[in-house]
Amino acid sequence: MNKLQNMTVAMILSGLLMAVGNVIGYHVDWYSSLLGVLVIIVIGLIGMAVSQIPGLNKLPMVFWISIVAIIFSLPDFPGSAWVIQITKKVQFLAVTTPILAYAGLSLGKDIELFKKLSWKIVPVTLAVMTGTFIFAAIIAQFVLKWEGAI
Amino acid sequence: MDILRNWKIHLLVLMIVVMSENLGIVKYGLIILLPLLHALVLGGIISFPKFKILSTKQMEVAAGILPIAMMLLIVKIGLDIGPNLSLLFHSKGALLLQEIGHFFGTVILGLPIAVFLRMGRESIGATYSVAREPNIAIIAEKFGLDSPEGRGVMATYICGTLVGAVWLSILTGVVAKLGILHPYALAMGSGVGSGSMMAASVGSIIAAYPDMEQQIRAYAGAANLMSTILGIYVSLFFSLPLATKLYNFLSKFQSDKETAKEKV
Repeated sequence: MNKLQNMTVAMILSGLLMAVGNVIGYHVDWYSSLLGVLVIIVIGLIGMAVSQIPGLNKLPMVFWISIVAIIFSLPDFPGSAWVIQITKKVQFLAVTTPILAYAGLSLGKDIELFKKLSWKIVPVTLAVMTGTFIFAAIIAQFVLKWEGAI
Repeated sequence: MDILRNWKIHLLVLMIVVMSENLGIVKYGLIILLPLLHALVLGGIISFPKFKILSTKQMEVAAGILPIAMMLLIVKIGLDIGPNLSLLFHSKGALLLQEIGHFFGTVILGLPIAVFLRMGRESIGATYSVAREPNIAIIAEKFGLDSPEGRGVMATYICGTLVGAVWLSILTGVVAKLGILHPYALAMGSGVGSGSMMAASVGSIIAAYPDMEQQIRAYAGAANLMSTILGIYVSLFFSLPLATKLYNFLSKFQSDKETAKEKV
């Protein structure tokens, strides 16, 4: 089985888990949840296909998938209102939960490596993450005010 | 069919999703705990090496599915950008300039602490970026991963994988509740260039400002896309030289002080 087939299977599988979370956590019905997830998967697969085109494959897949999703949601794109209405039924948080569950299940292998590190890396990592978030947010706040966007 | 054969992983994820979504959003004062956080912690506990529930091979399969499942989140966020394109275009200056904060914020806050803790040249690798895969590749090419810089970037990578999403989710929740920064500004801040960290951070902003959900995701998605694309170049040509210069400056100051102390 090649890499793209594997990716397709993984997308469908994780999409199903997202639908389950959408039904349990946000009380959306099964039909809307599955249909919404299906549309999201199809857009993801189109993005994946685009990213394989020679020449375009120089940029990461995440870029092309983003671009394809943005195009599908443009007001002028035919059927975009339908796409948005259908996918809106899938809650953002329901999409994130299975992803972070997979992330969690892979942490064990990092725990062993982590034990070998000095404790010093913990405050440093927290400072790195805080720095990138907070400085970007502060700059954004000032420029948004200046641009009159807020 | 490696992915399907490891049914144990998917069954565990199903269990984790059912439990996490049933628990829902939990709020303690300023702190917001989202289902995604429950899922991350539950998964982490299950994968704990001591429990021997999962083999290293199975954990690698889970790590392999993660970026693919992440693509669905990227689609979901991308679909919020189209309808808000004019809003984003109206704040293009903010979107562009906030990237300066993303790229240099790690050095400005992280490097002085690393030098203060006497981490040596590892400080450079540890703080020049958020230490995701492309940043590791840059250090590997320039210094090799056996160098102090290489050990530094790997340390932040491992530690960031373990605590990054949890920390950003809680930090963002607290900052959002304080109400000093506008949710749009916070949304851009959350676009750090790592999918799970962005998800954790955006989730907390949305929990605090549910009525602006779509715009928040549009800003976060646009900022994250820029961090991902520009990140490789900016961290190579600007952040890394800056971190090296700042390290040389700060460590000189430190050794001066030490020799001064010795003389006394």
